[in-house]
Amino acid sequence: MKKRTSILGGAAAIAATFVVFVIPFIFIILMAFKDRQQSALRDFSWPTGFHFWENVVEVVKTRNWMMITAFINSSIITVVSVTLLVIFAAMVGYVLARRKTRWNGLIEFLILAGLMVPPAVVPTIWLLQGLKLFGTLHGMILIEVAYNLPFSIILYRAFVATIPRDLDEAAIIDGARPLDVFFRVVLPLLWPVTVTNIVVQSVGIFNDFTNPLYYLPGNANATVQLTLYNFQSQFSTAYNLLFTNILLITIPPLLVFMFFNRQIVAGMTAGAVKG
Amino acid sequence: MAGLELKQLRKSYGKVEVIKGVDLSIEHGEFVVFVGPSGCGKSTLLRMIAGLEDITGGELVIGDRVVNAVEPRDRGIAMVFQSYALYPHMTVYDNVGFGLKLARTPKDVRDQKIREAARILQMEHLLDRKPSQLSGGQRQRVAIGRAIVRQPEVFLFDEPLSNLDAALRVDMRMEISKLHNDLDATMIYVTHDQVEAMTLADKIVVLDGGVVQQVGSPIDLYKHPANLFVAGFIGSPKMNFVEVNADKVSGDTVNVSGPDVVGVPVALPAGKVRPGDKLTLGVRPHDLVVAPSGAIVGRVGLVERLGNETIVNLELPSGASWLAVLDGDQALKRGESLALDVDPARALLFDANGLAVAAA
Repeated sequence: MKKRTSILGGAAAIAATFVVFVIPFIFIILMAFKDRQQSALRDFSWPTGFHFWENVVEVVKTRNWMMITAFINSSIITVVSVTLLVIFAAMVGYVLARRKTRWNGLIEFLILAGLMVPPAVVPTIWLLQGLKLFGTLHGMILIEVAYNLPFSIILYRAFVATIPRDLDEAAIIDGARPLDVFFRVVLPLLWPVTVTNIVVQSVGIFNDFTNPLYYLPGNANATVQLTLYNFQSQFSTAYNLLFTNILLITIPPLLVFMFFNRQIVAGMTAGAVKG
Repeated sequence: MAGLELKQLRKSYGKVEVIKGVDLSIEHGEFVVFVGPSGCGKSTLLRMIAGLEDITGGELVIGDRVVNAVEPRDRGIAMVFQSYALYPHMTVYDNVGFGLKLARTPKDVRDQKIREAARILQMEHLLDRKPSQLSGGQRQRVAIGRAIVRQPEVFLFDEPLSNLDAALRVDMRMEISKLHNDLDATMIYVTHDQVEAMTLADKIVVLDGGVVQQVGSPIDLYKHPANLFVAGFIGSPKMNFVEVNADKVSGDTVNVSGPDVVGVPVALPAGKVRPGDKLTLGVRPHDLVVAPSGAIVGRVGLVERLGNETIVNLELPSGASWLAVLDGDQALKRGESLALDVDPARALLFDANGLAVAAA
């Protein structure tokens, strides 16, 4: 009796997962192989011909090879933001976890506020313009770092607390200055958290559509998400190209996952840090 | 070479004073043990010497320098932690050499020092392992190796054997003692275990509540404790105490009596005690002997026959209970009446303030 229920339950879960995750992906792939007319039907019909390669070429060549520029921009933004996020969030998390001062309450409040309060776009644009950062890649990087810092800090602070203070003290006695303690002892031990942070943040930043839309206007500044708009307009949409585009921009996050996947699992099963 | 001086050292956390004016002088090459119950401030004192805690008042002198404001790395100290505090992501080789790497020591010098420390501690075969692949005793050795390699003037040990099992503790205790002889180094050792203190120390510092209770050699503390606290802390099993009044003073003997004991003679020079003085009598369990006409009479409670000695729990008339460790195997029955005596020279008297009535 128990076995049948659990098999049924398992089957239902698999079916639900299939519908939610796999079917849309199959749809995307099917659409990428079709030509423009067939894709306009927007159904699950099998592609009449193999148009995949021409779709890809078309997508990449659109608007003066905008796709290439977009990939470069997105990559720069993602890599630099994530690097800055990891370093700064780890530093803040480390100090918050180790040092008990009366400012801790205020700082934690600010972090929570950063996490919960939605950013106001127009004042931010006004601020960026004042700093001459509006519409620049480094401005965009600073925005991404600022928006994602609270989450990263909370993640790091929780994990720094699991590193025994003894290790800091042993390092200090060995002659480590504060930055040595941080970079040579604490940060290496935070590797599992760093990996998780890298994966989560890089996928989030790479996939970010709205922030580049607001703060990074212009063709030269396009990020990959914005290229989707190349193929959508009020009156005509080339669905095959649109979905090919979607497929192309799914690849980098997929690579990140595949590369770091084993590290995340290893980090979670490695056990507590023991001196 | 370097000795240490602690001059009126104080430590407060806000309004709470935890170290209340400690004065101590440590010679070069001495093995000093700070001992005391939990919360007495011994670890705090050690950390103040190391530089991990700020000094609120007083002076700390290492060698001939006042080091209150000096960073730990410049004080010439090295510390072995209770939890070993090995860097989990580095091999034993890198753990031991971490300090040297930070000091930018040339690679060949660094390598030679690491291997020398490994040789002294017999851990050459462990150099490529990570701490998670070592046993507790091996980790402890790596921690000691990391300290040795710094060639410090003072070694600081913070309860290093607490995390080891009993058998290993005995072995490591002997290794530390041997190390002390080989290196001829000043060592300050913190423990709550008075057996470790008695066996390892040249000098024991007994602390309670942030105040030094007594400083002296192990046997000195055992035979001539300065107050009730030291008397009760040093020696296992614990010293027996009873409230008494001084009866008769004649020459160099004082007779004391109380609710549980009548006419126990205690050897004391004349003039130290007057008849009628309220005192506490302290007798160590090992100093009690069976005597038919003994002054200490009670009922046998629990008997533990260990073969070479017998531990007897004696219930005294007032309800108090004394422990006696008697030589040899004594076939005593529970409930039996037992009379014990004590050598007048071994019995100790403490005045109303808990201070020892000095024998000399």
